Amino acid sequence: MKHITPLNRKAKAVEQAAEGGAVDEVYAMSSIVTGCTATVDPGWEIDPFGSVAALCAPMEADLYGCSDPCWWPAQVPDTMNTYPDWNANAPSAQNDWRELGAVFPKK
Amino acid sequence: MKAIRSALLAAAAGLALAAGGGAVAEAAAKEYLLTAAKPNKVVLIDPAARAVEKVIDIPGPGVAPWTVIPSPDGRIAYVVTAHNEAVVGVDLDTGAEVFRTDMNEPENVRSKIMPAVELSRDGTELFVYVSPMRELPGEYQVLDTKVKVFAVADGVGAKPVREFTAPRRIAVFAMAADDQTLWGLGWDLYGFDPKTGEIKQTHKITSGPAPDRAPADILDFWPQFEQADVFSTPYYTVDTTKSLEDPTAYKTGMLTLDLKTGEFVMNEFEETVAVIFSSVVSPARRNEVFSTYTQLSKIDTATDTLVNRIDLPHTYYSINISGDGEEVYVAGTMCDIGIYSTADLSPRGRVEIPGCPDMGVSSLRVIER
Repeated sequence: MKHITPLNRKAKAVEQAAEGGAVDEVYAMSSIVTGCTATVDPGWEIDPFGSVAALCAPMEADLYGCSDPCWWPAQVPDTMNTYPDWNANAPSAQNDWRELGAVFPKK
Repeated sequence: MKAIRSALLAAAAGLALAAGGGAVAEAAAKEYLLTAAKPNKVVLIDPAARAVEKVIDIPGPGVAPWTVIPSPDGRIAYVVTAHNEAVVGVDLDTGAEVFRTDMNEPENVRSKIMPAVELSRDGTELFVYVSPMRELPGEYQVLDTKVKVFAVADGVGAKPVREFTAPRRIAVFAMAADDQTLWGLGWDLYGFDPKTGEIKQTHKITSGPAPDRAPADILDFWPQFEQADVFSTPYYTVDTTKSLEDPTAYKTGMLTLDLKTGEFVMNEFEETVAVIFSSVVSPARRNEVFSTYTQLSKIDTATDTLVNRIDLPHTYYSINISGDGEEVYVAGTMCDIGIYSTADLSPRGRVEIPGCPDMGVSSLRVIER
């Protein structure tokens, strides 16, 4: 942790817990994970077998299954909270993907 | 029930004759698939005709409908929408909004439905699992997750008739057949008293079930238990007595909870070689369980073995089954519902929703109406 500095109270609490040995081991995709940033699974880069064959196919089948439940807000916009209408004009990810733009933090 | 199934078979064969006994009401009952799609639509499908019966707009804001709960008479669909901040009840005959409850609350509290919803078996009370958060000037204050209970008779603008706190991470509810236990699947499987919120029973999942197994890993927010009255979900675990480098250490199992008897079973049926998202139990042969993701699998829970597995045209999240146990339906993700034989998993048909809107994570239910 010497190269990482906590920025807020929660991060400091995590650091203190880690130093005290009070942090449980993290299990990837621990049971029943829904909601923003609740997962620690790696994303679309790799499947449970270390490959890509077991990812959703095609990825467009999975795109809204990940954005609408706010599954991976770092990879797809969070349509539950911050960008609710990101895909409002694109009901089919497979056919309407050209309507899906990049998003930027609101000022 | 047998008479109803006879009528269904007759309907499936395209016969316009009522089933024997002159039971007009029973002969009129027919199975439909109920799901939801973008943008904010409820979709009713006639699986026998391989056709979409109707598409209904959900009133109010929202893009991606999620959990779909049918009323016991198959007349109303209760749908989580408005970016997980409302449950809307839509009359499937008229398209009218007959129920609505918005989660927005006073004092800067914002609640999201995440996404467990269930009706009592008598259709009078709606149970909604919410995750509230208070917006303070400098921080978000996370509040206790809770279940809000609504009387559906309160209609549009319904307020909770009672609430109780509940453990975090519950993603799917299933009401017991006798209306005495509301089951909620989270890190463990909790049996709530639906009147008081007291947890009467807990089946260990994350911390069990065996000492030589890693915490079970489950992803399930698909309520699809109405046909057999058995809730089911695949789970993954690791045999901790083996090396993590050993492929045989990784196990896939099936969890079943009989909603009539309360019998709870977690048994492994294969070493993990495939991803499975959700499953359904056959009402005709209750040892047959079908599961979906990018493959469709048939599992025998009497022998805990994989019977058959085929590749699907694409990934499907949700699955359900016909009342006679002859056809299995896969849906969710994109815009088509695949129909397969339960005997050999051969394709039997496909229904595409007009305009090809994605179903995403929405539920796939079977109703009779």
